[in-house]
Amino acid sequence: MGKKDDKKKDVQDGKFSRRDFFKKGGSLVAGGIVTTYGAKDLLAAASSSEAYPKAKGHVEHDATLCSGCLSCMIACSLAHEGRVNLSTSRIQISRYVFDDFPNDIMGFTCQQCDDPKCVENCPAEACHVDTENGNVRVIDPDKCIGCQTCFDSCIYTPRRPVWDSQNEKATKCDLCTNAPYNSKSEPACVSICPQKAIKFIGQV
Amino acid sequence: MASPGYAGKILKVDLTNKKIEAIDTGKYEEFGGGYGTAIALFWDLCVKPGGWDLQDAYDPRNIISIMNGQVSGSGIPYAGRTSVSGLSPQGWPVNWFTRSNIGGDFGTMLKYAGWDGVVVQGRSDKPVYISIINDKVTLEDASKVWGLDTWETQKVIAKQQTGSSGDGKRDWRSIGNEFSMSKPAIICTGQAGENMSRIASLQHGGGAAAGVGGFGGVFGAKNLKAISVIGTGGFNVADPKLLLETREWFTSSSGRPGGFGGFGGFGPQKAKSSCISCVRGCRTRGEAGSDDRDQDGCMETTWADVHKPAAKNEHEAKKANPLLQKYSLNGFDTCFGGIEFGPSGTDFPLETPEASGLGYYIKRLYDMGVIGPGKYVTVNGKKISVDTAPLNFDEYGSYEFAEKYAKIISTREGFGDLIADGAVRFAEKIGRISDLDSLLRCPTWGHTDHWSMAEVTWGYGDLVDSRDICDHVLQMVFMMLGFGGSGAFGGGKKQQNQNPEEFVMNLTKAFVPYDDDPFMFDYSWDTDQAYKTGIYAESKAKLVAWRMHYHTYYKESLMFCDWNWAKPTGMGEKGTPFGEPRLYNAVTGKNQTFLEGMEIGRKAWTLKRAIYALQGRTKENEKFAGYMYKPGASGASFTNTLPVYDGKKWAFQNVGQMYLSEKGVEAWKTHYYKLEGWDPNTGYPKQRTLEKLGIKGVADILKKNNKLGAA
Repeated sequence: MGKKDDKKKDVQDGKFSRRDFFKKGGSLVAGGIVTTYGAKDLLAAASSSEAYPKAKGHVEHDATLCSGCLSCMIACSLAHEGRVNLSTSRIQISRYVFDDFPNDIMGFTCQQCDDPKCVENCPAEACHVDTENGNVRVIDPDKCIGCQTCFDSCIYTPRRPVWDSQNEKATKCDLCTNAPYNSKSEPACVSICPQKAIKFIGQV
Repeated sequence: MASPGYAGKILKVDLTNKKIEAIDTGKYEEFGGGYGTAIALFWDLCVKPGGWDLQDAYDPRNIISIMNGQVSGSGIPYAGRTSVSGLSPQGWPVNWFTRSNIGGDFGTMLKYAGWDGVVVQGRSDKPVYISIINDKVTLEDASKVWGLDTWETQKVIAKQQTGSSGDGKRDWRSIGNEFSMSKPAIICTGQAGENMSRIASLQHGGGAAAGVGGFGGVFGAKNLKAISVIGTGGFNVADPKLLLETREWFTSSSGRPGGFGGFGGFGPQKAKSSCISCVRGCRTRGEAGSDDRDQDGCMETTWADVHKPAAKNEHEAKKANPLLQKYSLNGFDTCFGGIEFGPSGTDFPLETPEASGLGYYIKRLYDMGVIGPGKYVTVNGKKISVDTAPLNFDEYGSYEFAEKYAKIISTREGFGDLIADGAVRFAEKIGRISDLDSLLRCPTWGHTDHWSMAEVTWGYGDLVDSRDICDHVLQMVFMMLGFGGSGAFGGGKKQQNQNPEEFVMNLTKAFVPYDDDPFMFDYSWDTDQAYKTGIYAESKAKLVAWRMHYHTYYKESLMFCDWNWAKPTGMGEKGTPFGEPRLYNAVTGKNQTFLEGMEIGRKAWTLKRAIYALQGRTKENEKFAGYMYKPGASGASFTNTLPVYDGKKWAFQNVGQMYLSEKGVEAWKTHYYKLEGWDPNTGYPKQRTLEKLGIKGVADILKKNNKLGAA
């Protein structure tokens, strides 16, 4: 069992508890049939519909304008981690030239959901609403335990939180509110896009 | 530990012994990565061991090196290309060591997988493809993709590697401890490569190609169908904040849409397609329901025939263009006649095409009655069929003709077997090699004409290299003088109203270290001035040296895109010679100067010259084809209006009638060899030169083989 699985088990064993997840998770483990899908379904059912303050915006990608240069992904990882790594980019552009336009390029960005399941279900309170920075949904790396519950909780496919394998933690789009190497006032992916295919919708 | 920007190791795959190993990149950093490192690898893996005459590109001992650049994938614009090199089967009469390069994201994906390049040697006993998933490298059975075109090949391999292909859906896949949404980057060859056509390309994605050199045939000879790579990792840069700020600085007022845009080919460019980190996007994304996939407009034009009505040709050429990619054929060497658009007239005489490959040649031979249904030629007393079946020249200019033409070259069916090795070898087979004096416009080494003249330093570059150098730096500058440039080239207005002297003086400033010699740009050719300051003078040797050193390092080793670099005019501090080092240093944290980069280029270029010496290059055989010495040598070109100095003043003149004199070219070669530190009588590098460049061991091997230049 890997470290990630250990963390998942810790969550399921109740070492980290939050809202309904504690009870539901515990019963699931008792059944001994924990799977990714099982957890996701369970978490969806466990939604508390708790009201969160709305994020003041999110990033959108227009696949019809994109040229597939991946500058946004490089910029995202540089701005946050200080090194190039497409796998840790919070914006994901997937390109496959043999699919018909515009599906040859597909972009995936965090929508900063009104009802953020990633926040709601995080057992370590790492994923939270940053009320000091436009209510952006962010993950505190100091608190993240790497259980990937946020992966399972995300309502989108592909899920929007990403995996930082070097630190074994989840991370997600924070609209560059905590991007130490980004000196621009807007998210790095937005400012770097040469085709203006990435836009910030809203205000922070 | 490798410097920032490098992954740190190079993958070596021996297909004969099925051995996979890693080479430390650090050992080769002095050659600049990319092609520079590949030259050094060729030296170490093919030359040093000895016991081989370095003549046959299809010999299993030949290596093919596919390399990324030190700053590739870092976010630096126009720096994401991938170098391909090795002995070239296209090279004629010798399979010279040569280079090609390819756009897209193969090289950068390789870096994300932890490799600065992949070197393949040997020959597999059965068709295979190489699978690279980060550190996991395996040889996979290619029997299911052998015989498929390059697009189908990539689809099948993508499915084998990721479990899905072409369904418009995307999701994360778990790879080791990582997750990735990337499709594999695949470089492969089609049927032309499998059948070892000497004009077979390597293809990647829909339209990216390493066309020149015939490296598709090298894959075929190695029983290698493809290399697939998935990289989920990253690499370090010296100062990420500085890098992002430098990118912003570079692109803030240039390179945004509305600048260069794309070449576009025929018809308006729809959505753009970019190589990694490119801010322009010169290719076109696919159109639903069409065969338009990531196409390069420049290649579309090579299917046009200059004698055909434009409207029909545009449509047929655009439709035919994907045939090149699918069968894996080099567009320029397969082509029918180059560019057919823009105004005609003295600046752009359409009657002689700018490019004139195999298709152009066979059409002329057909029109002359030399080849055709039931025709034969006699060569050395032997009767050879030159029946053009299954081609039907009544269909010439149509898609149907193009389709048959591409297919028979690639499968060697019927007439196709005669022409599958390119125009020069075809001429040789049918006893018409003397056509190099007239009809067969291949200026050097069996490669088609491509803007070699009247901007003669392109032609000189071809001569001292081993291929069409395909280096557009001066074309981008000079086309503004006579032609004005199309919208695609960002021009639209002639600039002859500039003061010629001022123009030349400003241009000269960029060409460090020769920035004190404006006569580099004197195109006097038919007077004594040609020897004093014009095309046969030492100044022209400087300009060619600059081009070759710059190209070797900045374009082929750092992998800067030829369509965007160098930038000698109009870019101020973002252009040459200021922009390159600033971008490089932002990634690496070094304090490298422009000139230091040029010296790395000189070093790799000279090492390559040592390889040529061992392959048999001499001053005697370094000669142009005969037509270059006759009226008509300069074909259609954007760059026939050039600066000319008459001994007193500068002027812009149309020099589209330029052709060369043998005496003049010999004089130029002597200047050039001296400037490079090569023996002016043989062209061999001198010991002192090699020692100064820090490659004394090279001199020892040359000496042992009697190929060292006289002191």
